[in-house]
Amino acid sequence: MDSERLTPVEEAQRRHWWIRFWVILALILAVLYWLVFENSYVVAHESERDHFLYGSIGSETASGLPTWIFKALPKLYEEELGAAGYRRFGFLYESPEAELPIGVSKRVVSGIERVWLNCSICHVGTWREAPAGERHLIVGAPANNLKLYDFIQFLRRAAVDNRFNAENLIAAINSDEVGGDLGPLDRLLYRTVIVDRVRQGLLEVRAQLAFMDRQHDWGPGRVDTFNPYKAIQFNFPMGPDAIDAVALNGSSDYPSIWQQRPREGMQLHWDGNNTSVAERNLSAALGAGVTPVTVDRPRIHRVADWLMDLPAPPFPKPEAIDATRAEQGRAIYARTCAACHGMKTGEEGDESYDYDTNRYPRLGKVVALNRIGTDRGRWASYDAGFAAAQNLLYSGYPWRFSRFRKTEGYANHPLDGIWARSPYLHNGSVPTLRDLLEPAARRPAVWLRGSDVYDFAKVGYRADGAGAAATELFRYDTTVPGNSNRGHEGRAYGTALSPAEKDALVEYMKTL
Amino acid sequence: MAVSTDNTFLHEDNAALIFQPLKFRGLEVKNRLFRSNLSGMFDDYNGHGGNARLNWEEKFARGGVGAIISSYTPVAVRGRILTRYAMIDNDDKIPFWRAVGERVHRHDCKFMMQLSHSGRQQDLGGVENLFRKAQSSTDKKDYFHGILCKAMTVEEIHEVVEQFAQGARRAREAGLDGVELHGANGYLITQFLSSGINDRKDDYGGSWENRARFVLEIVRAIRREVGPEFHLQMKINAVDHNDWLYPWQKKGNDLEETKKICRLLLDGGKGVDAFHISSGSTFPHPRNPPGDLPLQGLVRWYDGMLSQGTRARFNYWIFSHRPAARLFLALWRWRRGKLIEGINADYAKALREDIREIDPSVKVLCTGGFQHASAIAGAIREGACDGVTIGRPLIANNDLPRILRQTEGPVAGKACTYCNKCLLNDLENPLGCYELSRYDGASFEERYDNMMREVMSVFEPPTFH
Repeated sequence: MDSERLTPVEEAQRRHWWIRFWVILALILAVLYWLVFENSYVVAHESERDHFLYGSIGSETASGLPTWIFKALPKLYEEELGAAGYRRFGFLYESPEAELPIGVSKRVVSGIERVWLNCSICHVGTWREAPAGERHLIVGAPANNLKLYDFIQFLRRAAVDNRFNAENLIAAINSDEVGGDLGPLDRLLYRTVIVDRVRQGLLEVRAQLAFMDRQHDWGPGRVDTFNPYKAIQFNFPMGPDAIDAVALNGSSDYPSIWQQRPREGMQLHWDGNNTSVAERNLSAALGAGVTPVTVDRPRIHRVADWLMDLPAPPFPKPEAIDATRAEQGRAIYARTCAACHGMKTGEEGDESYDYDTNRYPRLGKVVALNRIGTDRGRWASYDAGFAAAQNLLYSGYPWRFSRFRKTEGYANHPLDGIWARSPYLHNGSVPTLRDLLEPAARRPAVWLRGSDVYDFAKVGYRADGAGAAATELFRYDTTVPGNSNRGHEGRAYGTALSPAEKDALVEYMKTL
Repeated sequence: MAVSTDNTFLHEDNAALIFQPLKFRGLEVKNRLFRSNLSGMFDDYNGHGGNARLNWEEKFARGGVGAIISSYTPVAVRGRILTRYAMIDNDDKIPFWRAVGERVHRHDCKFMMQLSHSGRQQDLGGVENLFRKAQSSTDKKDYFHGILCKAMTVEEIHEVVEQFAQGARRAREAGLDGVELHGANGYLITQFLSSGINDRKDDYGGSWENRARFVLEIVRAIRREVGPEFHLQMKINAVDHNDWLYPWQKKGNDLEETKKICRLLLDGGKGVDAFHISSGSTFPHPRNPPGDLPLQGLVRWYDGMLSQGTRARFNYWIFSHRPAARLFLALWRWRRGKLIEGINADYAKALREDIREIDPSVKVLCTGGFQHASAIAGAIREGACDGVTIGRPLIANNDLPRILRQTEGPVAGKACTYCNKCLLNDLENPLGCYELSRYDGASFEERYDNMMREVMSVFEPPTFH
């Protein structure tokens, strides 16, 4: 017989104690799970500029590489990339000691720190005065150096490369150059989980982007915006039967992204397929690797807010502007160009650009393809079926896309900071503004892209490859599909002006 | 006379009304002031009465109330709420209660015994009940403290009915003037009556008639034992407000159901002689005793409950953490409402009108914070009740009837503050007024000494002197 019985309350409390224990344990585990596997951690940057250059927009979650693997790849593929590492792809480092290039951000996801791209990877340009001169960054300008095609192809090759394995990666990470210090637990994770999962991801990208092997190299400063988008976001068929050679080669120059506020309501993107700055921003972020479920909207908004009023960069060598000739050019510009592109107000003491679409009725509007006459590739790569699919993105959210449209041509854009947006036309087929004022037949047919040495007379990057190593240069052949330098020519486009008038016009455009 | 509790009447008019005798069917009380049921752990552990109880009841009789409703008096040890309350579970308790009656009668004061059974609301069941779950209408534990219980079998119900009947017989044999059934505030009879608590599927649960079957059987069994003349009254909740703490609890009985139950208990003229109207299906409840909650008192004196219910630790955690305790206090005040004095008057009026339609000889008493002549006379005058029952204000001022005869109420600083410190102290200390601000003295110590003198006066004169 028991003489030490518990009271009913004590029995119930003992029972409840176990319930409490399990509930609390489950809660702790749930919180831990959330903290480690669900919540993501990002580095916050105090200045808007640093946030733009290094802040996360959420691309790491779905597309990112573990930071150590990202850093180890140049070591593992040293033979291919050489000492330059990611610089080979035109990635920019603010200093030799910088840990990561501009446009690469960090985020801790599922307990693993990962890196991937943000807006600035495609929107920071450079210029220099002389081959040996200092390189100047232009924040918000087209990334004239970025060879995204090469970078993607490099990763696609790595996916099926025997050297891409846990042992080699661990050795590369722990090498002196990379400076990693993976302990036994980390090494175990790399061997069992991490490297396999990264390879799976790369293999998936490799398969999705198989059509890139049939594309012509985009070259530096250019991107095929929509074909990878079709494949990655929508699994569109991209085989030879599904897409013709014209639509397949739709590469275009990166745009500048300053002064977004006055652009609201204009037809954005080269073909003017959307009039909403916010939709265009979210769509562009998909290009950097976010997905509708992993997007970090607050941080994209922070970038977008900053870009609203980011000023266009002034011409870096004002002493190279002949004021008299520029004044002559101003009259010609007003007469010939302003209706489509707008211009500075020109009023005393007012340096601001006038984006008023009432005053400049064709500004921000699409010009039909047969009138503008420029290369069809980029226009053809964006079709109505794709627009329809895009308008389903973010369904269920207030910011669901609704304004994507197939248009009939290419849009007229404001020319603020046009000096920093070389080379010209949507596909970057014309090296300088002065070249653009010649009829297509007299524009450079084959030239070298990849130099950021600036030609202050003709306004644009030098087309002779000045100051760049042969390996960095890209032979731009205007006969290749997508590369045509035709169009934007004839009396209405200023190519019939006299040489003196053209010089004056170029002089004036330095001031925009 | 469409006049309520205001000052449009002279005090003489109010006093005349209050000190008019009240005639029940079988009992006449000299005025309209009743000492409500107040306990205090003054007696022997096993339920035999003690000297302090005699002193305690005599205080109020001497103070001038017309009648005293006894402390909560368990009809069986399983129905005890706190230890050291005198019981009426056996004939051997009759001599004690006879002594109580005699002491009270010396002051021309009547004495009714409140027959009670805790059911699951057994705060400190004592060592006798340590290994037993409380008896109730339901298996569901009390939601406030988490006191465990078991639904009574029909045999057990019959047994408890008989315990009530025998309790009434003993009260009559002790020479007391009547009995009251404690059918309010969450004790066993409420646990049967309340639609918020009673979840039985048999003849004692479901419809209001079924839920009232238990108490009707008690009333009939008592009448069988004591006859039709002996005064029998019923304390009942006008409205249960059973969802005061957890909004997902059922609301319990509303006024309409209570009206029907009261009519039933008249039992064609053979049932109860009076109703004592309260509200709130737990004890304590924001509406009963209506007032505040002394948070420090909860921390100091609730600890004894920790071993008694499965939710007591949770409650104690709330009481002993200031922000949580403040929230609880805010809930308490919100669920009570602004009115304290006469909180049940409107309910009582509705019930009294309904009861008088059938039998005007049945009287209604009302409880709830009464301590001012205008409020008491107002309630009687407007038909809310025939008399009021008073608890805490009488603890504060044992001679409140004398005060009310002369003036509106206690002088400033001496009135009951409704702080409910008496309520919390009763768990571990002698029942008395623990509101220091009411006591004379220039310093805390001086006031505290005076307070102790007053509280301990219940033990004077001592048992042996």
